[in-house]
Amino acid sequence: MSVIKRLQRLTGESTRQTEKPDRSEEIAALRKRIDAVMARRQEVRASALSQSGRLSPSLTDVIPGEVCANSAGVCFIQESPVDASAWHGHRRIRDFAGVSMEAASFLANNASLAGYRLEEGLFLDTETTGLAGGTGTMAFLIGLGWFDRERFIVRQIFARDFTEERAALIHLAQIAGDRRFLVSFNGKTFDVGLLSTRYIMNRLPCPLTDLPHLDLLYPARRLIAHRLENCRLSTIEAQILGLIRRNDVPGADIPQRYFDWLRGGDARLLQDVFTHNRLDIISLAALMGHLAALTQCRQETAHADAHDLLAVARLYAERQRTGQAQHLLSSLVQSREPALRKASRKMLSLLCKRTGHWHDAVDMWQEMIRDDPDDRFALIELAKWYEHRAQDHATALILVGRVLRQEGGCITAVEREALMHRRQRLQRRQADKNSDK
Amino acid sequence: MAKLTLREWLARMESNGRFMENVRAVKRLPAAQGRFADFPDWVHPRLRQVLDKRGIRKLYSHQVEAIDLVRQGRNVVLVTPTASGKTLCYNLPVLQQILVEPETRALYLFPTKALAQDQMHEIHSLIGELGADIKTYTYDGDTPDDARQAIRKQGHVVVTNPDMLHAGILPHHTKWQKLFTNLKYVVIDELHVYRGVFGSHLTNVMRRLMRVCQFYGAQPVFICCSATVANPQEHAQRLLERPMELIATSGAPAAAKTFMLFNPPIVNRELGIRQSALTPARKLATDLIANAIQTIVFTTSRLNVEVLTKYLKDQFTRGKPLDTKFVTGYRGGYLPHLRRQIEAGLRNRNVMGVVSTNALELGIDIGDLEACIMVGYPGSVASTWQQAGRAGRRMGQSFAILIARSSPMDQFIVEHPDYFFSRSPEHCRVNPDNLLILLHHLKSAAFELPFEKGEHFGRENIEELLDYLAEKGVLHRVADRWHWAAESYPADEISLRSVNPENVVVVDTSETGQHKVIAEVDWDGAFTTVHTDAIYMVESQQYHVDQLDLERKKAYVRKVDVDYYTDAMTYTHVRVIDGFDQKKQRDTIVEHGEVQVVRKVVGYKKIKFYTLENLGFGDVNLPEKDMHTTSYWFTIPKDLLTQLSYSQAEIIDGLAGLGYSLHHLAAMLLMADLHDLDRAIGDKSGEWFVRHGPKARIITASPAGANDPSAGQTLTMVDAFDPTLFIFDAYPGGIGFSELLYQEHARLLSSAQQLIGHCSCTHGCPTCVGPTLEVGLSAKEVALSIIALIL
Repeated sequence: MSVIKRLQRLTGESTRQTEKPDRSEEIAALRKRIDAVMARRQEVRASALSQSGRLSPSLTDVIPGEVCANSAGVCFIQESPVDASAWHGHRRIRDFAGVSMEAASFLANNASLAGYRLEEGLFLDTETTGLAGGTGTMAFLIGLGWFDRERFIVRQIFARDFTEERAALIHLAQIAGDRRFLVSFNGKTFDVGLLSTRYIMNRLPCPLTDLPHLDLLYPARRLIAHRLENCRLSTIEAQILGLIRRNDVPGADIPQRYFDWLRGGDARLLQDVFTHNRLDIISLAALMGHLAALTQCRQETAHADAHDLLAVARLYAERQRTGQAQHLLSSLVQSREPALRKASRKMLSLLCKRTGHWHDAVDMWQEMIRDDPDDRFALIELAKWYEHRAQDHATALILVGRVLRQEGGCITAVEREALMHRRQRLQRRQADKNSDK
Repeated sequence: MAKLTLREWLARMESNGRFMENVRAVKRLPAAQGRFADFPDWVHPRLRQVLDKRGIRKLYSHQVEAIDLVRQGRNVVLVTPTASGKTLCYNLPVLQQILVEPETRALYLFPTKALAQDQMHEIHSLIGELGADIKTYTYDGDTPDDARQAIRKQGHVVVTNPDMLHAGILPHHTKWQKLFTNLKYVVIDELHVYRGVFGSHLTNVMRRLMRVCQFYGAQPVFICCSATVANPQEHAQRLLERPMELIATSGAPAAAKTFMLFNPPIVNRELGIRQSALTPARKLATDLIANAIQTIVFTTSRLNVEVLTKYLKDQFTRGKPLDTKFVTGYRGGYLPHLRRQIEAGLRNRNVMGVVSTNALELGIDIGDLEACIMVGYPGSVASTWQQAGRAGRRMGQSFAILIARSSPMDQFIVEHPDYFFSRSPEHCRVNPDNLLILLHHLKSAAFELPFEKGEHFGRENIEELLDYLAEKGVLHRVADRWHWAAESYPADEISLRSVNPENVVVVDTSETGQHKVIAEVDWDGAFTTVHTDAIYMVESQQYHVDQLDLERKKAYVRKVDVDYYTDAMTYTHVRVIDGFDQKKQRDTIVEHGEVQVVRKVVGYKKIKFYTLENLGFGDVNLPEKDMHTTSYWFTIPKDLLTQLSYSQAEIIDGLAGLGYSLHHLAAMLLMADLHDLDRAIGDKSGEWFVRHGPKARIITASPAGANDPSAGQTLTMVDAFDPTLFIFDAYPGGIGFSELLYQEHARLLSSAQQLIGHCSCTHGCPTCVGPTLEVGLSAKEVALSIIALIL
């Protein structure tokens, strides 16, 4: 008995009938299947012959690209430059072409980037057979992009089936060989990890692992995610870059489209996938341009929210770029929006405190208290200053008392305890001083 | 009162007539002298130094044998008792090689996390003393994400379990490139644990491991350890599919041991009921601990651990603080730090008594205890010896006692000391080519590396299966290679340990809006225990099942207080599809082969507590379950049976009783769980079968007639009935048990003869032919007559 028959019995796929199925029925069914297969063959042949592509168009009918050969075989390449004047959301391509590498290096938190030219960057985004990860997931479409003066070139490497993967990887290695850094969105966790697995599976050295990498997900999370419902690229496109995709194929459908294509499906299934990937790549350039401009507070960041700038300032402060942070904050403290003004003052005052500009810091705390007599942060900071710097325990005590008297229970237990502790210490010191007298 | 030494205590017990009249056997195992050999020259001087400091100046003979073979690149399986220094047999060659060649990697597999942890400590301390930069890590479900990367790159020795290898390591092998490229040793401890379904999975995981190793050009040596079973070498070779060298003679010294088999006294001769095994266990443990003899008690359930621990604590902690660990429990479910604390307490004798499940049976280091009490047969001779080995490791005198419960296995063991004390009769069996198991692993293997035409994976023609998977849309065939072509992660689809990953959740709806899950029942069990209108019990609380929703896999129950429980009535219908082998034993035809099993729950009985009166019947409407599996069976010609002067109904009862005891004995022989096998009586053609009717056992025609449980029809057809008794694998596709049962047919029958013949009950009891309520009053007598006819 054949393995499959046994298996079908185990899985209950075969009919429950205990009698042997009618032989003639079986043969008829087999005939039908053969007919169906033959019909499909003819269809495929017919479509290959027909230029109209009415039945089932071939790949090149649908996607203008070409077969590219290298030492490992062939794969399919589509290259499509984007003109400098072309629009992508709110902006034109040429607007992103001037990204400062200084800013890029800051976004990547990688100093080596500052030494490269923008044209040396490789933008990368892959379409894969799944999100599960592991050795069984393949990148069937590798989308690449780079700047060529003011133009942006998109090149997509497509493995038409599993046998073309090796050639695709070699093609990628050739291109990556001329580049100095990578730009991606979540590529550190996903795309590069997946591709390096594929290189190992094909016994090839991975050209990507050692390249400096600007993964835009991280700065996007830091700088703009605070006003988005999530930090997906599609959300950023819609909310920040002003790009509305029409008839976009949902990312979740992409693996199945490829599997359908593999099993003799229609090349048109792939058209949307190529488009989707191409837009992703261009969005990488747009997002990089947007974030870089944000960090430089350039004039064209009209679409930038002032809160984004506050996030930039915070990042500057964290990376010890105090001057830049202070510069940015000094304009933000002029804001007419109270919440923003308060947050910026808070951050700026702390920077002043950190750098020993006590005078400026005290001024700011006092201003904050003038604006809002219940400003806990300012009251406490000022109390600390009076206690440790001015040695004026009486004033410090008054300030602490003001905070402790606040209603509303918005002070946490820990905060309250710290304040009580501070008050006790101040009272003790004052008593000591009095007794000294 | 002065405390007795173990020797004095034993002498006192052996002169105690009331105790000794229930002791079925006393075996005195003499102390064994150690046989030693010098360290081979090649052992690294630093290793020599470290071992020397630990007082190890010579090795046991089997250790030298093992490390020499491993050095020659041979695969080794060691069968030596607990505490014979087997860990050194793999740690020494592994550390040696890492010292010589620091890139070397080794993979250790243990069946449980606890054991892996323990072995980690062992090798860690060796490395610490070596002062070498050798990194060992455990890698399991508890390993934090941020530690994983370091483990993959730097771990010289990675300690894990087969489940993690299956689902976490192999499908990500590119991340483990360093390990696989340099993998020199694979250590598999407790090899006998991998049998039946688990073992069949393990073989496939090993096939996948070898494919991955081959990809990276590694050819590891396998070092395995097993408890004593009948076929250690055969099992290892079947499991790992490569030649294995067997080392079975231990050179380790052993303490003198007194081993007793104890059968608690009968309290109800009519029903064959004995005193609970817990009672003598409690008395013995109390007495031993009171004499400052450090004691371990093994029970077969977590519940019994708690019950017995409470008894002992009550005894010893009167007037003392309650948190004392003087006597304590130990089981899975205790938090790790508590377990470590107890283990340490045992080593430094702060803990004088511990009650444990088999969690302490395997090699966790708890020092040298003096006495071991086993409450109930642990299920296999191998486990019994492992548990007994917990007492008396190297020196002096030790004591072990097995206290039987009423189950057939327990009774057979204590009443047949020869079976127990002679060479191990237990076989480990696996069937890695079970198509369902194979198919799952083919998917995972294809996910890991594409299959090439002509590649082997077990003994089946996998090309057909690969094409089948391609047709199903999970693989894609191109140019004689099959690639994984689906979004899913196939290793998540199957667990290595459970038969069927689908469980039914029992939801308590007693409080509206506060539904809560109170239990999980496995898929097969759900049909008989939580069918609609069943009474389901958890910790003696009764619940009425309002609805069993198979689609959502939920049983909705609510609390009730009724005076009855329910017992499902099922029919099992077995039809032979293909006989593999046939032989004659006197006039019976014995066969094994492939069968179709159809099972259906047709109704249930309501049975009153205590009086066991039948209060009525109910219908159950659940789908049939259809399974193809392998079976062993024998057919008794009806002419032979008509020679007996019993009625037809009595003969059927006798066969049912025989089936009951054969089922239990077969499970014992196979070290299998009772549920791994099942039984049925029918005839080979599948036209007739016996099922349990509301009043008595009846013979009925095929399933259609079974819808009405009260219809006791077709007794007239019995003329055409050559009864056949089937014992089959309760896993679709079979797990390799049947062939062995076929070969051991005569031994099984004679064991059944002894079990039933020596049973002290009058009409049959759960120890021999099953409860009389189920098999009738004459079953015991008839079963013995039938055996006499056919053996």
